[in-house]
Amino acid sequence: MKFLAVCGFGVGSSMVLKMTLDKVIKELGIEAETENTDIASAKAEDADAYFTSAELKPDLESSTNKPVIAIKRYMDASEVKQALVTFLQAREGSER
Amino acid sequence: MTDRLFDSSNINVIDDADTWQSALQQASEPLLASKAITQLYVNKMIENVQSNGPYMVLSDYFALMHARPGEGVNSMGMSLLVSRNPIDLEGKQVKIFLIMAAVDNSSHLKSLQQVTSIFMDRKAYETILNGNKNEILALFKQKEAVA
Repeated sequence: MKFLAVCGFGVGSSMVLKMTLDKVIKELGIEAETENTDIASAKAEDADAYFTSAELKPDLESSTNKPVIAIKRYMDASEVKQALVTFLQAREGSER
Repeated sequence: MTDRLFDSSNINVIDDADTWQSALQQASEPLLASKAITQLYVNKMIENVQSNGPYMVLSDYFALMHARPGEGVNSMGMSLLVSRNPIDLEGKQVKIFLIMAAVDNSSHLKSLQQVTSIFMDRKAYETILNGNKNEILALFKQKEAVA
């Protein structure tokens, strides 16, 4: 699986979100690669799910049919973990 | 210029500020003084909050303030402002303003990773929130020696 962490410029907040995602992925023991990028590049890059802020979510959703997940606190591992688990459960459900 | 991320020249502690814009300006002063950034960069950071919302508040009370790399940036730099009282940033409460100025998309990543891992450490984070400058300086001195 591939996850993209997205913010306005792709160099600060999204980098931190990527670090939090990496930490959670390791904790959950799932196989996934992560990258961070800015919103314009994210629109042109395919991923299994996009993680971004509530403010940027609608813009990103308009250019992909993959899930766009809004995270309130990029550094909050428990929030990111819960979002990721919810995504994985929904994905599993849709594959059956 | 040392290799240290933070020393007494780029950490400031205040009691309060009237607006987040004024806090952001004060937080940027060390970088303006060393000419790492120009006022343009400060204005761009303000614009980013106004147009994209307060997504840079990465955890309770902590905002990673930055704008596009290179615009108004002469050299990479970071500075830290801690306010003992929370300041409203478009609906989110902030006490820690970390200013990050990057020249390109990659050269600052190692420093950012280092700082983030310090901020993710709950105990270290609480020390920073407490707003005692000497304790904060000692913390970074100790953490950076390990990193």
